[in-house]
Amino acid sequence: MRTDFAFVGVMLVTAALLMGVTLIAASFLRPKKPNKAKLDTYECGMTTVGDTWVQFRVQYYVLALVFVLFDIEAILLFPIAVAFNSLTLFAVLNVVLFIIVLLIALLYAWRKGALEWE
Amino acid sequence: MDVISNLLKILSDFVADLIRSILGFSPFLADLVTMGLAAVVLITFAALSFMGLTYVERKVVARIQDRVGPNQAGPFGLLQPLADGIKMFTKEDTTPASADRWVYNLAPLVIAVFALASFAVIPLAPGVVGTDLNVGVFYLLAIGSGSIIAILMAGWGSNNKYALLGAFRTVAQLVGYEVPMLLNIIAVVLIAGSMSLIDIINHQTLADGNPGIPHIVYLPLAALVFLISGIAETARSPFDLLEAESEIVAGFHVEYSGMKFALFFLGEYVNALAVSLVFTVLFLGGYAGPILPPYVWMLLKAAVVIFIFMWLRGTLPRVRIDQMHALNWKFLVPMSTVNLILVMIAVKLFPTSEAAARAFGGILVTPAAQALILFTLNIIVLLVSLSLASRAARKQRLAEAELLERRRAANMAAVAP
Amino acid sequence: MTIQQVVFAVLAVAVIGAALFVVTTGNLFRGALMLILVFFGMAGFYVLLDNGLFAVAQVMIYIGAISILIIFAVMLTRGMQAMIPRNAQATGAAVAAAALFVAIFLAFGPLRLTVDFSAVPVLSALFRTETARTLGDVPWQYANQPVPETYIADFGRALVNINQYLLPFLLIAFLVDAVLAGAVHLARQRKPAELIAERREIAEEEAEEAAALRGAASPEPLPQGAMAATTTQDH
Repeated sequence: MRTDFAFVGVMLVTAALLMGVTLIAASFLRPKKPNKAKLDTYECGMTTVGDTWVQFRVQYYVLALVFVLFDIEAILLFPIAVAFNSLTLFAVLNVVLFIIVLLIALLYAWRKGALEWE
Repeated sequence: MDVISNLLKILSDFVADLIRSILGFSPFLADLVTMGLAAVVLITFAALSFMGLTYVERKVVARIQDRVGPNQAGPFGLLQPLADGIKMFTKEDTTPASADRWVYNLAPLVIAVFALASFAVIPLAPGVVGTDLNVGVFYLLAIGSGSIIAILMAGWGSNNKYALLGAFRTVAQLVGYEVPMLLNIIAVVLIAGSMSLIDIINHQTLADGNPGIPHIVYLPLAALVFLISGIAETARSPFDLLEAESEIVAGFHVEYSGMKFALFFLGEYVNALAVSLVFTVLFLGGYAGPILPPYVWMLLKAAVVIFIFMWLRGTLPRVRIDQMHALNWKFLVPMSTVNLILVMIAVKLFPTSEAAARAFGGILVTPAAQALILFTLNIIVLLVSLSLASRAARKQRLAEAELLERRRAANMAAVAP
Repeated sequence: MTIQQVVFAVLAVAVIGAALFVVTTGNLFRGALMLILVFFGMAGFYVLLDNGLFAVAQVMIYIGAISILIIFAVMLTRGMQAMIPRNAQATGAAVAAAALFVAIFLAFGPLRLTVDFSAVPVLSALFRTETARTLGDVPWQYANQPVPETYIADFGRALVNINQYLLPFLLIAFLVDAVLAGAVHLARQRKPAELIAERREIAEEEAEEAAALRGAASPEPLPQGAMAATTTQDH
């Protein structure tokens, strides 16, 4: 299994090297004449006002949390799906219960308006 | 063994043997060189497909919209990708003075690397695969989270309001649409009984190598939802809210130019290619097919999926952000969850293998019968969901119309003397 | 040195370096990015332990979900550019961490210093075993056994086996439900009256704090955001 993943490591390193080389090669070929206006933050010709890193709506956080919920569901369901043929009906019903409990969480968030996006 | 149908396998075996014989003194070094070479080949394949895809996409979308598309560079504009490449390569590349330099410059590299890494597990022909992980599809889903981080890096590093806003929108979209994708992949894994992409293809192939029943017949609903969420995951039209020019300019990569921009573009197209290849593997039987060699089948099927992507891009208008979230959380996710539950129970009640039947009684059926049962179930779930959704939509429209009417009446009353 | 040891060493150095960066940086976003590197390194350790499933799950949950949650939370805070990366507990925490490291190194490192549990009063009460347990001499049950080929399916079966992990498996669902309910409650749309009352409360608290501070020694001035507003220039 370690050997299976070795290729993933090689792939990541090779991709990083190749892409890095293209970036560096391009940096030798391209012109480089920076000036103040060019290095300015782009905002359709306007001058930026205030801090960029403004506060964001809390809704993003709730959506990410709902995502975590389903992510956890998924990583637990994947091994169960692999083992599915050897499970008893009782086990399957428990899995269904697990999914329904999570579905209730989604419905709760829905009902409370956490999924609305205005 | 037919030489043509196994061309890729024979070639790769030959090269691997060659390397082993040259570097015979060190098996470790030989393995490393073989793997490195395989990685280079896969990356080149992805990069070349990226160049080809940009041309094909522009041509196809142009035809759909009654335009000509690129036609200046070379015959039929065929050299357009090359010209684009040269332009990107030699274009001046600025880093905004107020950017977080490290984060800003690393973001395109990260997105390209993680997009290319998905090709490590996708089988292109029998025996031609980077590595057959036993957690294959799971790996693909996990590697996708790398691009999410890269998008956040780009948005933050640019120190630009549009970029940050675009990054946040994109991330909310990507994580949202990952959920229906996950749920439907679980349904596929459930039927195939393995997460390895090769095992999933084998499940759609008969014992004699001929194509069996593809999973799209077992799970048409899952295939449909996977396609929709795949388009959203690659942020293509109609889900290209991150590029809503009228609202947030070009989204998270507004500050990027030159080669760094090209890497974002590469990431986008390589992801689209990967999604279509994965769709082929999961639902269309992968490389299994009659007469033509397997790699041709694989690419042909993937090309059909990509054509559907382009078709949708050429015809559909962009959805609004609230519609995008509502479609996902209020329609796709509940529908997929219910579908998954029903598929679980149906597969348990009507198993196809002796072992499964032994674990729990059930009624032993042939794969065709199981496919028929699941197909019916899927279609029923789809129809019920659609009718529920349309009823809810009608109710909402009526409520909105009533509100409007009441407001108008109030206005009239206020205006009247 | 085998290739696995080399990979382990590289991963370990990367993880420790990134972790140190996380706790010492004042820039919350960069800290979050380095935390992602730590998570990635942990996935590498799982691969070295021959458990691809956990490696991939680690990447998916911690990088794909938790990190995004952390970054979103970072974005909800003000002044994330220049946080002061220490507080009153920093020294104590550093000492505790160092002590723990020394203890682990002595017990499981090359020295294998052993401590007889039965001789230490507190430990003997905590780990009441028939035989005297010795730290650093743990009978790891699966230490030298290869991971079976079918480990994914085994894990899946164990999750829904009533004699193994069925209860925790179901409890996870309820736990996650509770977490979501809490978040939805905190992020709910407040009514205007509610908001005004809340703001007044916060303002009162701040006034109290300010009064308390004025009484005490003048506090250290907070460093201003490192990033000034971008240069003003006409195009």
